[in-house]
Amino acid sequence: MTRKPVAFRIEEKPEKPAKVSPSKARKTTAKRKPRAIPAADITLEPENFDLPPETTLPATTPEPQKVVKTMRWGALFLSAFTGLVMLWASVTFIKLIEDLFARSEILGWFGTGLLALAGLAALAIILREILGIFSLRKISNLQDQAQTARTSNDQKLAKKVISKLRSVYSDRHDMTWGLAALQDHETDIIDGRDRINLAERDLLQPLDEQAGQIIAATSRKVTLLTAITPAAILDILFVAAQNMKMLRQLANLYGGRPGAIGTFKLAGMVASHLAVTGGLALTDSLVQQIIGKGLLGRLSARFGEGAVNGILTSRIGLAALDLTRPIPFSPEMKPDLAEFLKNIVSFRQTTDENVKSS
Amino acid sequence: MKLSGLTDGTRIALGNVGDFASDLVTPSLRLGVTGLSRAGKTVFITSLVHNLIHQSRLPLFTPHAKGHIKRAYLEPQPDDDLPRFAYEQHLKTLTGQAGTGENRQWPHSTRRLSQLRVTIEYTPQGFFARNIHGGKLHIDIIDYPGEWLLDLPLLNQSYEQWSAATIKASTIAPRDKLAKDWRSFTEKLQPEEAANEADAVKAAQLFTDYLASCRDDQYALSSLPPGRFLMPGDLEGSPLLTFAPLALEAASTAPSGSLHAMMQRRYASYVDHIVRPFYVNHFARLDRQIVLVDALSALNAGPQAIADLKNALSDILASFRQGENSILSSIFAKRIDKVLFAATKADMLHHETHDRLENILSLIIEDAATRAKTTGAGFDVSAIAALRATREATIEHGGEKLACITGIPAKGEVIGSDTFDGNTQAAIFPGDLPEDPADALDGSLTDALHFVRFRPPVIKPAKPLQPAPALPHIRLDRAMQFLLGDYFQ
Repeated sequence: MTRKPVAFRIEEKPEKPAKVSPSKARKTTAKRKPRAIPAADITLEPENFDLPPETTLPATTPEPQKVVKTMRWGALFLSAFTGLVMLWASVTFIKLIEDLFARSEILGWFGTGLLALAGLAALAIILREILGIFSLRKISNLQDQAQTARTSNDQKLAKKVISKLRSVYSDRHDMTWGLAALQDHETDIIDGRDRINLAERDLLQPLDEQAGQIIAATSRKVTLLTAITPAAILDILFVAAQNMKMLRQLANLYGGRPGAIGTFKLAGMVASHLAVTGGLALTDSLVQQIIGKGLLGRLSARFGEGAVNGILTSRIGLAALDLTRPIPFSPEMKPDLAEFLKNIVSFRQTTDENVKSS
Repeated sequence: MKLSGLTDGTRIALGNVGDFASDLVTPSLRLGVTGLSRAGKTVFITSLVHNLIHQSRLPLFTPHAKGHIKRAYLEPQPDDDLPRFAYEQHLKTLTGQAGTGENRQWPHSTRRLSQLRVTIEYTPQGFFARNIHGGKLHIDIIDYPGEWLLDLPLLNQSYEQWSAATIKASTIAPRDKLAKDWRSFTEKLQPEEAANEADAVKAAQLFTDYLASCRDDQYALSSLPPGRFLMPGDLEGSPLLTFAPLALEAASTAPSGSLHAMMQRRYASYVDHIVRPFYVNHFARLDRQIVLVDALSALNAGPQAIADLKNALSDILASFRQGENSILSSIFAKRIDKVLFAATKADMLHHETHDRLENILSLIIEDAATRAKTTGAGFDVSAIAALRATREATIEHGGEKLACITGIPAKGEVIGSDTFDGNTQAAIFPGDLPEDPADALDGSLTDALHFVRFRPPVIKPAKPLQPAPALPHIRLDRAMQFLLGDYFQ
């Protein structure tokens, strides 16, 4: 609606110099009549040109595929089966306690205490897992909002995203500097898009470096151990374990804190993400061909395999970055595989001790 | 733009080769700052330089925010034949008396070309930068009146073509009223008769008056070539500026000694002695360009002013040599590879509506933008305030919340029935910018908007041993990042 220009003297009460009565303001609304399109008749499909003209959509990675819920029978089976197991377990435990009481009262109370402790611990674990899954979901929501704020240049949404980010990182010592830098331009007039980019630079860039080190360290370890483990089955197990550890570390680093189930869920998301983006990574496979079957492969078949596994780990790490980072990568910050490979072969010793694992 | 001749091309190429060679030692960046008069060029440069030198708050200017810039300082400019941009003097005008800010005012308008070199020392990242030039960058800021750009199309126009176009433009409202005196005089002249200096002087005088009256706030028209008529500088009264369009019949030739011939000759010398040297020596050697546009004054004046601004800007932008540089073109025929269009004085409205202002500006420069995009030049539109004179406030009024700006309106500014004295603070609600930028052109906004000029803000002087106070700004850092950011490799 169109509102007339008004001036207020600061000394006076703002209500007093009312120049425009609401009715007058409405009159000016009527002025908007000569608009060309009777919009009511037409329903336009949203198109590219509806966006503000200078906005270009950043090249985003495809969304991780949501797991399609088709397994209702499977779910029924699982719940029924779990119910049975639980029943069996409780009956067994009750029986055990009864037996213990029958033997001696002290033993019985001791057993009850142990059971209570176990129950408490189980509850805590379940709670933690649920929280883990929630925090993963929170990060993925944040990602969506940050992306929306960036593409639509929405100032309010950007501010909301940043206050959420602040709550995610508020208890971390290593983020103090970044949070302070962010606080510093809180009240400045900055576009939504730029605000998100600033948060990315101030908060996430230091984390990106650590993430790169984690990925590089894991890849190196995987390469080396694949090359020296004697049996194939062992290195499959080993690679899997290392990758899970890496995923968890990455999620922790960006404030996701998944539990065990959360990490498995993340692994599933990473797998589908890789499946989606894998088709684009044509050059990577070329690298793998050369390293795996080429030079290194000629030197030693095992070493070649190791290198391939290492590269695979790097790729999993990069995919996990896309999923665990609360703000999607801006195009200029997006790391590429070649850069990481350089990291792996460089002998800069990295430590994963500086990343807390909870 | 088509080069007017092989010689021009060669001279530009020579200039560029020289620049290229010196850039190998210490890279330099020629940043052109232009805009039609009163767009805020001087304030922009002053604030840009001040913010660079004093390392103020520029969160979006990445080299600064990441701490790559070690220091920045003013250095003697490379071209000795150009006036220096009087940075210190303009800064003093803007801040007024130290401490109280008394007598602070906006600096006078740009009347001539001037130049200023800022040298920045930074931590380089690339191998070449680290080892060859050691992280030094000269930024040569070239300030010139945008009106001169309106002259560039004259390079490709004959006197007869220009005459016809100018007379035609003067018949369109609201110019027809303003041009009445001059047109009635010029229609009485006999172009084919012997030249009479007195007639020429009178015609030029009336023509200049007409151009000057078009520029008044009330009309705020922009497309007024030839530019030197309004900013003669030391050429005032010289025959170069003593010509005017004549009402010529189609396909008429100029008999020698006639008024027509004299006007034709003077027009040709104007193009040769004023327009071409500017084009070859300065304009064709720019790397980056920022075009400042005072869209708000045009919105104040109404749809004709907007349409006129649109014309003027598309004329101006047709002269840019823009596009991506290849290695070869960067040596011989440098192009402007990034152009930023900035709607200045964005502090005259609340930041919530800045995106609408940007949309209106995008509409105004539509033609030019399309061209920039097809040539591959970087291109951006932004609402900025190089020196922010206001603060924002929300005021409840008539049951709704109005997003206002507060500041000290300049003396003589009027809103509604209020006239300001230049000392009282006031909160201003300037009206709603339209959601659909096309409304700005179709006249449906009459009286719905009024933007008030404010006095410059009071800048508190630095305390002893403290860094100089920052000049507040809106999105200046964003503009700097766009224009300069990628040079700090």
